[in-house]
Amino acid sequence: MKRHAKRLLNDLDQEIREHIELATQENIERGMTAEQARYAALRKFGNVTRVKEDAREVWTKVWLEQLGQDIRFGLRQLRKSPSFTAIAILTLALGVGANAAIFSLVNTVLLQHLPVRVSNRLVVIWISNLKNGWSRIGPAGQDYLDWKDQAQCFEDLFLFEHGTGTVTGGGEPEQVAGLRVTTNFAEFFGVRPLLGRYFRLDETSARHNLVVLSYAYWQRRYASSPAVLGQSMTLNGEVYTIIGVLPSDLATVFPVDVVVPFDNDWLKRADSDLGVFGRLRANVTLQQASSEMSVLMGRIAQQRPDRKDYGSVLVPLESARVEYIRPALLLLLVAVGCLLLIACANVGNLLVSRAVGRQREIAARIALGAGLGRLTRQFLIESTLLALAGGASGLLLALWTTYVLARFIPTRIPVPNAADYVSLPSIHISAPVLVFILLISLLTGLLFGLLPVFQTLRFDVNEVLKEAGRGSSSGPRGNRTRATLVIVESALAVVLVIGAGLMVQSFSRLLQSNPGFNSNHLLTLRIKLANDAKDSPYKEPRRQAAAFQRFLTAVQAVAGVQSAAFTEIVPLSQDDMDMAQFVIQEEPPAPRSQHLASDFRDVTPDFFHTMEIPLLHGRVFTEHDNLDSPRVVLIDETFAQRFFHDQNPLGKHVQISDSTRPPREIVGIVGAVLDTGLDQRPRPTIYLPSLQSPDQTMSLVVRTALPPSSILPAIKNAIWSVDRDQPIFNVRPMDEIISSITSAQRVAFLTLDVFAFLALALAAVGIYGVTSYAVGQRIHEIGVRMALGAQRSDILRLVIFQGMKLVSVGVVIGLLASLLLTHLMTGLLFGVSATDPLTFAAVAFLLVWVALVACHIPARRALRVDPMVILRYE
Amino acid sequence: MSTKEEKERVELLQGTLDLLILRTLVLGPAHGHAIAKAIEFRSNEVLQVEQGSLYPALHRLIKRGWISVEEGTSENNRRAKFYRLTLKGRKQLAAETIKWEKFSGAIARILWPTEEPE
Repeated sequence: MKRHAKRLLNDLDQEIREHIELATQENIERGMTAEQARYAALRKFGNVTRVKEDAREVWTKVWLEQLGQDIRFGLRQLRKSPSFTAIAILTLALGVGANAAIFSLVNTVLLQHLPVRVSNRLVVIWISNLKNGWSRIGPAGQDYLDWKDQAQCFEDLFLFEHGTGTVTGGGEPEQVAGLRVTTNFAEFFGVRPLLGRYFRLDETSARHNLVVLSYAYWQRRYASSPAVLGQSMTLNGEVYTIIGVLPSDLATVFPVDVVVPFDNDWLKRADSDLGVFGRLRANVTLQQASSEMSVLMGRIAQQRPDRKDYGSVLVPLESARVEYIRPALLLLLVAVGCLLLIACANVGNLLVSRAVGRQREIAARIALGAGLGRLTRQFLIESTLLALAGGASGLLLALWTTYVLARFIPTRIPVPNAADYVSLPSIHISAPVLVFILLISLLTGLLFGLLPVFQTLRFDVNEVLKEAGRGSSSGPRGNRTRATLVIVESALAVVLVIGAGLMVQSFSRLLQSNPGFNSNHLLTLRIKLANDAKDSPYKEPRRQAAAFQRFLTAVQAVAGVQSAAFTEIVPLSQDDMDMAQFVIQEEPPAPRSQHLASDFRDVTPDFFHTMEIPLLHGRVFTEHDNLDSPRVVLIDETFAQRFFHDQNPLGKHVQISDSTRPPREIVGIVGAVLDTGLDQRPRPTIYLPSLQSPDQTMSLVVRTALPPSSILPAIKNAIWSVDRDQPIFNVRPMDEIISSITSAQRVAFLTLDVFAFLALALAAVGIYGVTSYAVGQRIHEIGVRMALGAQRSDILRLVIFQGMKLVSVGVVIGLLASLLLTHLMTGLLFGVSATDPLTFAAVAFLLVWVALVACHIPARRALRVDPMVILRYE
Repeated sequence: MSTKEEKERVELLQGTLDLLILRTLVLGPAHGHAIAKAIEFRSNEVLQVEQGSLYPALHRLIKRGWISVEEGTSENNRRAKFYRLTLKGRKQLAAETIKWEKFSGAIARILWPTEEPE
C-alpha cells in the first residue's frame, strides 16, 4: 500500500470522530439533548467499523490479502500436527505418483501422434483369408498396384517391405535392417530429410542403387558425418549411393537402418508379406474405406483367381501400433485411479477426524461472525496445500517409478496376428505429465477438502459450545462420513486386489504353459545367405543347403553346445509366418471353396532333438532326406487330429501349394508347438526337411549346457570360420523371446501387484484409523460397561463388530463392482476366468482378515481402559 | 447475462454517489461532513446518504485521481481534511453528467413512453 493511502487511513479515525461531533453539535442546535444528538449522529453515520474496512478495501486487493492470511494459517495448522501432515502427504504422494507414472506411460504410448503428416488418417491395409484362418497377412505388390488404380477412398497409398541386408567392406560384415519403399515416401509422410534428399517419384522406373540412412545408423556407422552424402556403401554385394539421412524421430515409425526404393520390376515380383499404408481422404471414414475395399477385393478376385476368398482389413496406423499393449495400459489406468481414490478417502478421513477435533474452534469462529465462505475457503486451502505437497512428493515418486517402469516396458511390441513388431518411444516425464500431476493434485485437494466442509459446517454451533466440558463428540454426521469412507475404501481395495489376484494366476499359468518344447538354455540367431549379390557363392539351392550344413557342423563342434539345428522360423519369435494350402492325395479333393491350410516350416534333422519336441509316431528326418531322395514331411499332432481324425496319417501324401509340386509322404508325427504365442492354441503344422526345400534365411537354434550368452562368442566364431563375410543377426536366447511376447501381461502383472498391495495397506490404515477414533469416542461408554460387569470378549466384540460391519458392506460392493470391472481384463487373462470364484472368495477373505487385524489393535487398547479412571474423571 | 446486469446496477449505484460528490466539490473544497450535508440539502433531503459510506467513496475518488486531499481548518477551528476536485475529476464529472442525462432520459422515455421528450 502506498504511503499516502496509509496516512489517509490512519487519519480516518480522527476524521470520523470529527464528522460525528459536527453532526452531534448540529443536532443539539436543533434542540435535542446531548445524548439524543449523539445517538442520532451515530445512527446517521452507520457502522463505523464497516466504513473503515470499506475504505481499507479501496486501497487493497482484499481477497489476495485474505488468501495470504489463509495460506499462512493453513501452513501453521499443518506444521502444528507434523505426523498428520506427514501421513497425509505420503498417502497422497503414493496416489499421485502412481497416477503420474502410469499417465506418463499412457501419454507416451497411447496419446502421442506419430511424427508424420496427418498421422490420424493413415491406415494399415492387410489382406485376409478367413477360410484359411489368416486374419492379417501382408499383401503382394500386385494388390498395391490394383488398389492404387482403383480405390477411391485414399489420397495415396504407400508400399514398403521390411528386410535385411548385408553391409560389407570396412570392418565386420553387418546385417542391417532395411526398408524398401515406394518413391512417394517423402510426400506420403510429409517428412523432410535431416540431410540430403529422399527418392524422386521417377526413380522407380529403373533400378537405382540409392540409399537413405536412418539417423541411428548414420550416427553409429558414420559418426554423424555430414560428408556421408554421395559416398557409396556395399549392400548385398552391390554398390549403393548414399543420398540422405532420415530425421531421428522417424525411428518410431520405421526402426530400420537403411531405406532403399522399389523399382517397378521388383514391385511386380514381390508376391507377399508387404506392408501397405493408405492415407484416407479428409472426409472418408474408416467404415466407408473398409466397405469400398471389400467390394474392390471382390472385383479383383474376378481378374486374379489367386485372390479368391480374400478380404481386406483396415486398421488406423496409430491404433494398430498399440493394439497389443493398450488393454494392459487401460487396465493400469483404472487400477491407479482406484488407488488414488483410496488415498483420497484416507486423507479425507484424516481431515474429517481432525475437523471434528477442531469443531469447537470452528464453532467459536462462526459465533464470532466468520462467514461460511471464508471457512470453506480455509478448509479448501488447507487441503490444497496438502495436495500440492503430496503432488510434489508424488512427482519425485513418479520420476523414480517411470525409471523403473522403463526397464519393464518393452521397446518392441508385437502387432497381434500380423507377425510384426513396432517399436515404442521411450517413456519420460514430459510437460503434459507435469500438468496432469498439478491437475490431479488440485482435484484431489478439492475432493477430500470438501468432505470436512460438508460434515463440519452443518453442526449446531450452540450445541458444540455448550458441550464444552466433555471434549467434543463428532455427532452422527461425522461418523456417517467416516463410515462411508471405510466402505468406499474397502470396496476399492477389493476391486484392485481381485484384479491383481487374477493377473497373478493368469501370469503364472502363462509362464507354466507348455510351449511344446524346452525353452531353457536355448539360443537362437538368424543367418541370411547373401545370394542377392551378383557374385554370391549361394546362387544355387544345393549350395544353400550345403552352406547351412557347414555352419551347423562348425557350431555343433563348439564346446558347450549340446545340439544345434536350423529352422526357417523359431517358435514364438513372431519373426515370420509361413502358411500354405495343401491337399491330401489319398483323400477326395475338397471343393474349391474349402482349402486346407497349414503352417509349414523347413527344418534340419536335429531340430526336434534340439528343441526337445517329442516324436509321437514314425521317424524324424535324417541327412538322407535330401534333394536326391523321395520327398517326405512330418506333421504335428494338431495337424493329425484336424485333418486325419482317427485315420493313420503315416504313409499318406500331402501336396503343398498346388498340384505341380511333388507329393510328399508323411513319415512321422511330432508333438504340437505353440508357435504364435503362449496364450494361443497350437496350429496345424507341416515340417519339411530343409535339404529338400532350401532357404535363404534360417534361424539357428542351439541347446547349450551353460547359459547361452556365455558361449555366444564361440558360436559366432564357428560360423565365421566357415564364411568370414557371414553376418549374424537377431541373436536372442529363448528366454528373451518369451519375455518379449509376455511383456504386456508382465507389465500388468507387476504393476497391478504393487498397486494392490498399496491399496490393501492404505485400506488397512484407513480402517484402523476409523476404528481407533471410534474407540476414543466411546472410551467413556466402554469404561461404564466394564464397571457394570461387561466381559472383555463383549467389549472386543462391540468394537470389532462396529468396524467389520462397514468393511463387510464394502467387501460386498467391491465384489459386485469387480464382477463388472474385471471384464476389462479378459484380453489379458490366460487360463483363468475374469470372474474366477476362487479368486473372488480368497480376496474377500483376505480383506476381511486384514480388516480384522486393523480393528483388533484399537479394540485391544479399549480393553486396557481402567473403568475407575474413567468414572473418576466423570 | 443476469450477472452482467447485476454488475452494471451495482456500478451505477456506486457511481451515483461518486457523481454527487464530484458535483458538490465543483463549488469548492469541502470536508466530509460538509459534503454529506450539501448532498442532503441540495436534494431536498430526498437522497438519504448513509454518511459513513461517503468516506470509502472519497478514498476511491482519491485513488482514481479525481479529487485530491489537503489539510485545512473546519468551522469550529479544528484541523480537518478538505477534498478538492482535480482537473481530471472535472473532466470525469462532465463525462459522467452526460452519461447520467442520457441514462435518465432513456429511463424516462421508457417509463412515460407517450410523452414527447422536450
